[in-house]
Amino acid sequence: MNPVAKRNAIGFVREVGETASALWWQFFDWLAQVPMRQLVVTWVLALLLGCTPILLPEQAAAFVLISLGLKVLAGGKRKAEIEARKASEQAGTETLERKLVEAQMAALQAQVEPHFLFNTLALIGQLIETDPPQAAKIHTHLIEYLRSTLPQMRARGSGTLGRQIALSRSYLAIMQARMKSRLSVSIDVPPELESATFPPMMLQILIENCIKHGLEPKIEGGRIDIRASVNGNMMQVDVQDDGVGFSLYAGDGVGLTNIRERLKLVYGTRAQLLIEQPAEGGCRASIRVPFAPDIFAGAPA
Amino acid sequence: MSHPRATALIADDEEPMRDMLRARLAECWPELEIVAEAGNGIEAIALAGQHQPDIVFLDIRMPGMSGIEAARMLFNRCHIVFITAYDQYAIEAFEQGALDYLLKPAGGERLKATCARLQARVGKKPNNIERQLSALLSHRAPEKQRDYLHWIQAQVGNSLRMISTREILFFRADEKYTRVQTAEGEVLIRKTLKELEDELNPNEFWRIHRSTLVRVDAIAEVTRDLRGRQMVRVRNSKEELEVSRGNTHLFQQM
Repeated sequence: MNPVAKRNAIGFVREVGETASALWWQFFDWLAQVPMRQLVVTWVLALLLGCTPILLPEQAAAFVLISLGLKVLAGGKRKAEIEARKASEQAGTETLERKLVEAQMAALQAQVEPHFLFNTLALIGQLIETDPPQAAKIHTHLIEYLRSTLPQMRARGSGTLGRQIALSRSYLAIMQARMKSRLSVSIDVPPELESATFPPMMLQILIENCIKHGLEPKIEGGRIDIRASVNGNMMQVDVQDDGVGFSLYAGDGVGLTNIRERLKLVYGTRAQLLIEQPAEGGCRASIRVPFAPDIFAGAPA
Repeated sequence: MSHPRATALIADDEEPMRDMLRARLAECWPELEIVAEAGNGIEAIALAGQHQPDIVFLDIRMPGMSGIEAARMLFNRCHIVFITAYDQYAIEAFEQGALDYLLKPAGGERLKATCARLQARVGKKPNNIERQLSALLSHRAPEKQRDYLHWIQAQVGNSLRMISTREILFFRADEKYTRVQTAEGEVLIRKTLKELEDELNPNEFWRIHRSTLVRVDAIAEVTRDLRGRQMVRVRNSKEELEVSRGNTHLFQQM
């Protein structure tokens, strides 16, 4: 035999071996997972075939015996292995999805609406000439608001409800300076809830939505009410407006999706975003999260 | 240098913006008389009718009626200048036309140029703005798409709950109600499956069975059971949804 033929022959044998091994494991996986009832049906079929000239009865009986033995001895372990592999594959995709969502969130948090920024800067420019002290105030509010929206600027302890309320006040003060009498605001948050943990930016997104979709389109403007309360071990924060109300055809903005996904990431099923249309009109958005007072909230950063 | 006397109206929903434009105009064109100020599009039309100004400064984003819609109604009656905070398409559209636009905050050399342009035109017939408007509108709304339902309203207790279609896994007909299934739970609504099918985006929701509408993005897998029926499983739900024979083509290429 020349060397080339020898190599070909070895290659062929190896291929046959691999195919046989693959087939064997396929058979084994099938055996591990097939329900007992279906296996019994297969055995009956095999025994029936064994009585025909196609298959010998001894081999049919051997097949039944071997497969029964394998199923009992190794089937359970193999099944567990297959399930574990499937589960870890799924977990892998879930981690990936999670990472992707987090990346998108980070990008979204850095977003400040240019319309808002330009109008506020224009307002400051106007006030510098007509009312410098007011200009200085709005300027401070703008800095405060930008600090909350740019992630790399966020200070330690920003994850408390009190901090989020303070940032929202800045935003609302700017909007009140721009919309004048068209916007009124009330904030009702018990002081003992101010140290409670609350995820950054969510309150701001809800308030911006109220202004943009509820009150700006309403000619006479309206009011925003912000309330927080605790019921058992859940804290609820409501943002309600009396604006033009909800359009069923309005796209679910990125903001609300952002809140929903982040709540899911941080709290799983223990947190909730509810959007309701109160009987008196307008719109109410509520975030419910587990109540967790932050004992370090008062500590210096 | 003496300028022609002219009258103008300013429409912007934010009072400080109106104050600012008035102050800037007083610098560039002291003879211009601001006869009225409007806080929204509807008011702008009414005041324009009352005062018959030569020029109207219109903000684009206003409640009630947008500046674009107001401009349509003021067609051929006065010179129109749009003021916009950020609309880059408007800038493109107007850069080609004789009609003017101003970018907020308006002031300085740019406003002077606008005033000069207006001064040259006062007393002449206003431009036909229809062409520029349609150019602008085509930029702003690339072929008006059909509005699809994005929210489902459900009575929960004594309030109306809004459920985003993105949260919904599937709808199932349940006698005279329709069951709305989300990862968190289920609610019943009175809308029929047929009504929902007509109003929802057909690329987002597929009718897989006489009694089932499923959200495509929520589908986890499609399998065949022993009887050869296709079964759909959605994420976050254990329920298996049958695909009826007439709809198996939906998953043919999968």
